[in-house]
Amino acid sequence: MNMITLIVALPLLAAFLLPISDRALGSVSRFVGPIVLLMNIILIMTLWQKSEGAPFALALGGFRPPLGISFYVDQLALLFALLVSILALMLWPYKADTNPRVFGLMLLLTGAASGMALSGDLFNIYVFFELLSVASFGLVASLRTGAAFAATTRYLIISGFGTVMALTGVALIYTQTGTLNLAHLATLAPQQLDNATGLTAFALILLGIGVKAELFPVNTWVPEVYATASRRVSALMAGLVSKLAVLVIVRLMVLIFPQPEAMQLMLALGVAGVLIGELSAWRARDFVRMLSFSSIGQLGLVFVAFSIPGEAGILAGLAVALHHLLVKPALFLLAERWGGSLGRLEGAGRRSPLAAGLFVLFALSLVGVPPLPGFWAKLLTIVGLLGQAAPLYWFAAAVVLVATVAEVNYLFRFGLTLFKREEQSAQVHKPHARIDLGTVSVMGVVLLTAMFLIAPLGERMQTIADQTTDRGLYISTVLGPVGGAR
Amino acid sequence: MTLLDGLILLALISVLVTMLGYRLPVIGWLTSALFAGQLLVLFLMSGLGYGGDTIHSSVALSIFGQPLSWRFDALSWFFALITIGAALASSLFAAGEWGRQYRQNGGNPGLLQFSLALNVLTMLILLASGDLLALFIGWELVSWASFLLMAMAGGAAFSWAMRYITYATGGAMAILAGMGMVYQMTGSLQYADLMAVAGQLSQAQVVILSLLFGSGFAIKMGVLPFHLWQAGAYAETPGPGTAFLGSISSRMGLYGILVVLVQLIGLGRLIEIDISFTWLSLRDLLMWVAAITIILPTFTALRQNDARRLLAWHGVGQGGYMLLGIFSATALGSSGGLMHVFNHATYQAALFLSVYAVVHRTGTADLNKLGGLVTRMPLSFLVMLVGIIGLAGIPPMNGFVSKWLVYRSLLIEGMPLLFVASVIGTLGTILSVYKLIHNMFLGQLRAEHSEIREAPWSMMLPMLVLSLIVFITGFMPGLALDWVAAAQAAVGLPVLQHSLGGVEMEQGGLDMTWLVAVLFAGFGIGALLFYSTGKTRHVNQLDNYAGGHFLTADVRYHYSDHFYAGLMHRIGHWYRESFQWLESVLISLTGFVAQGASGFYRIVQPALLMLVVVVLALWVVR
Amino acid sequence: MMTLITELFLMPLVAFVIGLFMVLMMRKIGARLQRRVGPPFFQPLIDIIKFHSKETQISHGLIHDIGIIMAVGGYIAAETLLPVPGMDGIADKGGIIALTYFLMIPSLGLALGVGQCANPNGSIGISRALTAMLAYDIPFVIVIFGVSWHYGTTNLVEMVNYQQANGWGIVEMPILALAGLFTLQGIMGKQPFEIYVAPAEIATGPMVEMGGKYMGGLFIMQAFQFYTAGVLYTTLFLGGGENWPTFLMKIFIVVSIPIMIAYMFPRYRTEDMLRLMWKWPVIAGLIGLALVMH
Repeated sequence: MNMITLIVALPLLAAFLLPISDRALGSVSRFVGPIVLLMNIILIMTLWQKSEGAPFALALGGFRPPLGISFYVDQLALLFALLVSILALMLWPYKADTNPRVFGLMLLLTGAASGMALSGDLFNIYVFFELLSVASFGLVASLRTGAAFAATTRYLIISGFGTVMALTGVALIYTQTGTLNLAHLATLAPQQLDNATGLTAFALILLGIGVKAELFPVNTWVPEVYATASRRVSALMAGLVSKLAVLVIVRLMVLIFPQPEAMQLMLALGVAGVLIGELSAWRARDFVRMLSFSSIGQLGLVFVAFSIPGEAGILAGLAVALHHLLVKPALFLLAERWGGSLGRLEGAGRRSPLAAGLFVLFALSLVGVPPLPGFWAKLLTIVGLLGQAAPLYWFAAAVVLVATVAEVNYLFRFGLTLFKREEQSAQVHKPHARIDLGTVSVMGVVLLTAMFLIAPLGERMQTIADQTTDRGLYISTVLGPVGGAR
Repeated sequence: MTLLDGLILLALISVLVTMLGYRLPVIGWLTSALFAGQLLVLFLMSGLGYGGDTIHSSVALSIFGQPLSWRFDALSWFFALITIGAALASSLFAAGEWGRQYRQNGGNPGLLQFSLALNVLTMLILLASGDLLALFIGWELVSWASFLLMAMAGGAAFSWAMRYITYATGGAMAILAGMGMVYQMTGSLQYADLMAVAGQLSQAQVVILSLLFGSGFAIKMGVLPFHLWQAGAYAETPGPGTAFLGSISSRMGLYGILVVLVQLIGLGRLIEIDISFTWLSLRDLLMWVAAITIILPTFTALRQNDARRLLAWHGVGQGGYMLLGIFSATALGSSGGLMHVFNHATYQAALFLSVYAVVHRTGTADLNKLGGLVTRMPLSFLVMLVGIIGLAGIPPMNGFVSKWLVYRSLLIEGMPLLFVASVIGTLGTILSVYKLIHNMFLGQLRAEHSEIREAPWSMMLPMLVLSLIVFITGFMPGLALDWVAAAQAAVGLPVLQHSLGGVEMEQGGLDMTWLVAVLFAGFGIGALLFYSTGKTRHVNQLDNYAGGHFLTADVRYHYSDHFYAGLMHRIGHWYRESFQWLESVLISLTGFVAQGASGFYRIVQPALLMLVVVVLALWVVR
Repeated sequence: MMTLITELFLMPLVAFVIGLFMVLMMRKIGARLQRRVGPPFFQPLIDIIKFHSKETQISHGLIHDIGIIMAVGGYIAAETLLPVPGMDGIADKGGIIALTYFLMIPSLGLALGVGQCANPNGSIGISRALTAMLAYDIPFVIVIFGVSWHYGTTNLVEMVNYQQANGWGIVEMPILALAGLFTLQGIMGKQPFEIYVAPAEIATGPMVEMGGKYMGGLFIMQAFQFYTAGVLYTTLFLGGGENWPTFLMKIFIVVSIPIMIAYMFPRYRTEDMLRLMWKWPVIAGLIGLALVMH
């Protein structure tokens, strides 16, 4: 089972070797990244098959947990590791004039992200998180324009303070319990972290890691960064990086902080994110900014969904997150050619009907029109929210529903703009690059396939949610039946 | 494979055919044939229309543990009949010359046929839904299919379609919230489970559920205060699309209300609930909403100067009669409400089509730019005449019968103010439809229209057939009442005992066969009197004088603008456009909040705040 | 069946004859109030014959003709819905609501006919007539509701039976009866509410293009209109017809009231008619309704 380390090690290794190999091999090095990612995908698939869905733990360096560095590999972790590789492959900067450094950063990001998904202790998570941050800083600044640098600086500052917060949270936990292994923490949490200190630690980690997850109110970097970074990077950040940050928070929540206060804190921030994100998007007058704000709103929805206690929450959150993971990158890729103010895009859809059609498809799914997958995600969320007794959950449901109306309004206002008959002085737009349109088409096919396979997919997600919420299983898998809570 | 599977499959095939073959010149005829085929399948199930057994679909799914099923009962059949009939008429209208002209003007008739087919498919899916989840899926599909039809024309249609879809999404979200609540109460989304617990729900629960579902469905019907989108959105749809939307699309909301409020929750529960500080029950409140929905849109229609808008506003108003009838929960009233769905569809389609026949020939629907067309387009005039008599609810057309049933039930139930309100609506309708037919067909013929011809037969055929239906179901309402009674039984309303001519009742019934026969005998005698005496000399319509001067064709003297000047002098200042104002306030308010929200991203730099939070946190946990 | 068919022919005929007498009565009353002798006995009939045998009969098109046919034919049909002593016709098949709407058919016919004439004065007249209908029909339906509720039926025959057993409606519902009388003034188109008929200014009123038998048709229509108004009010409030002599007395008295009032008043503008009709008879009607339903 040591193959699992390869998932993390391979991309990292490739990332560090790439600058050297670039000199030696020249243009061949551009293929290194995709090959590594493909290998990763194959690796994870075989692993998944072998493990048959059962979780297993891995201790690195020969120390048994809670002392050593440990990986915890369950279906959720594998799923996200897989998605990291797939999405990175799809959003890989294939363009010929890409700076080779970007390849390295992409691989670094992939490795760090996979590591984050698989790590079983807080310190490791923190390290990978930092690595991820560094890679993302590099990527968002890779266009090397002044605006990009300014945005990145802003991002950097907020991220830096976020790291401080997260680290403070981790430190608080360590002072309380003396361990950072998640399984060990899970056994200790009910006695030692179910108090104000624990809650504070959670809040700090939530806000700290939330910077990457576009959590309100630490997401002020989002619109500028997405507007200035290349679309592929924006897609990667909005689609992937944010979800990994959410994944970490969910892991912590399930294992260590199941207090209702913690959930409601996350819910409140999520609701605020939905409201502010969607309203700002409603007001936005260019496509990219609209997508950025919409992404904030959607991530708010992810937090709202995950804050539903129990399995229903994990299921709903997973559905919303996965759906967004597919849709938002696709929309960002479409934005590649649809920059600038909305007025200039009149009739753009008539010149590239395929792109416009795909936009409509993704927009429909995003607002949750049945039977597209987005609907099921929204349905699970609403039903879950209304199932809770606390009034805050009902309020959240109302906000989500109202926000959907705003979402429909701005998405289709844009959609109709695309189909307007251009009057005079038709604005010239370059057609979408074939690689972008191809990628989006593939995503569209995936979306439609998911629509038809929603029943089996639902069952699969149910099992993942079951496994994820099972604390006992986590503890016993990592610490062994003896040391665990069983 | 059941007949229902066959029907939906055929509808699906129609969608695919129109999607792939939208460029074919014969696509209109092909689509019409496919609709006719669907109608045929529907007639194969006609047992349903007379109260036969429910037909189930063999397709059943289970998603996230929720079973989804589809079935057709008498109510679905009744609505499906109207849907497919309206689609057939619209498609036929567009198939021939209308489609050719539309193509020449830069339109895409194939796309129109595709949208029609898509609308029919989605509506059938909605009507077939066998549980709340399927209902919602169907509902959303219908909403978006209508959106496509409305937005098709481009230009002004976009902003109206946008308004529509915003309202519609609001409605859908209300329904979704209602579904979430039902799920929490019953643990499932099956009709049977909700029906089983409906009796034990607390009053608060019933109120919230009825308001959520009721307003959600009512938005599609344009019930006040959700009516602002409808007239414009319908009027901007290309020709036959308007006829289709106007005759059936908004009635899908009524179907939803019938299923959820009437069948599942039961009007009995709504009648039990008293609203504090008033003498009204929740049901009465809904009836009042329906009555206001009759009056305000009707009098808004009176002020329209565009034939399409005028009719579309009446469409909103007539929905009120349907709701009023159904909420009365009596056999008479609910049959009136249900029958009005059928009647309204028939005459409204006929009216829209005749307006579009005129638009086809003259190029305008502006009521101030037409006039005197009766001499040029007599058949279109006839169709419109039949249509407006139906719309105004005057015998001998079918609109009278359904309205009579509603009035009669209000009389029996002792609801005088609602009765008066509904009659006021009818009177307003009479005024406005006379203006319609007068400004288009009567009065002075414009010089530029003196050479136009009657609409071609491909357009006349559906119009004439529709007006024939309007007349026949007025003459023998029992034909339609059979279906209505079966539908009543299907949703658990008391069933109307009826005869071919109407209703036999000790306390004053209605027998349309007799009334119509006598009426036409009266006309016959009148004609006899008229034609047996004195020889008439036909003069040119323009051979006229006014104010002591002979009038000529180049002088415009058609009395069309500000037609009811006297009335408007009295009631004109009652038009406050309060709802428009309310809507714009809401939009500005949202804009204001949104500005604040996006301002957050410009101004706030939370980094230092974050540091403060950390320090505070550490100080707290010290 | 045979008797029914005879009744169906007889009832409009009787109505026509009585209607002519009513027209005569109107003219006589007018003459007496103005200290004139008034027309001779057969004058209304002579007028009709004269109109129909005019040499110049100008038609502005088919709808012009059909309008007149609808106006006369509609009334002919409507008379069979009004029970008179010994003859019920098809009154039990329609009832008061159907009758009310039946009475709109002649108006619609007239409106169509006038519209076809393409004379702006005619169209203005119709716009006023329809506005007037909106004015008087609102109190009228309040009255109808109250009456039907009180008798528990919409069937006019049943109403008559009830009154003959339990006493007249006017005794039991005086306020509604008063409101009904008020609306009668509007329904008959008499002063002060006669602007939409504009009988005094035919050349510029709604009847501007009506000559010869078109005018004759309208004349017949007026006869029917008087009769209908009288019988309807009698049936609703005055116990209907027990026998012909009392019945005739009742309907002539009913019709004479608005006529007498008419000659004492000038004319109101359309908007003033609206104001008046929506105020007093509506208030009276609602009070009456409240008393009936209490």
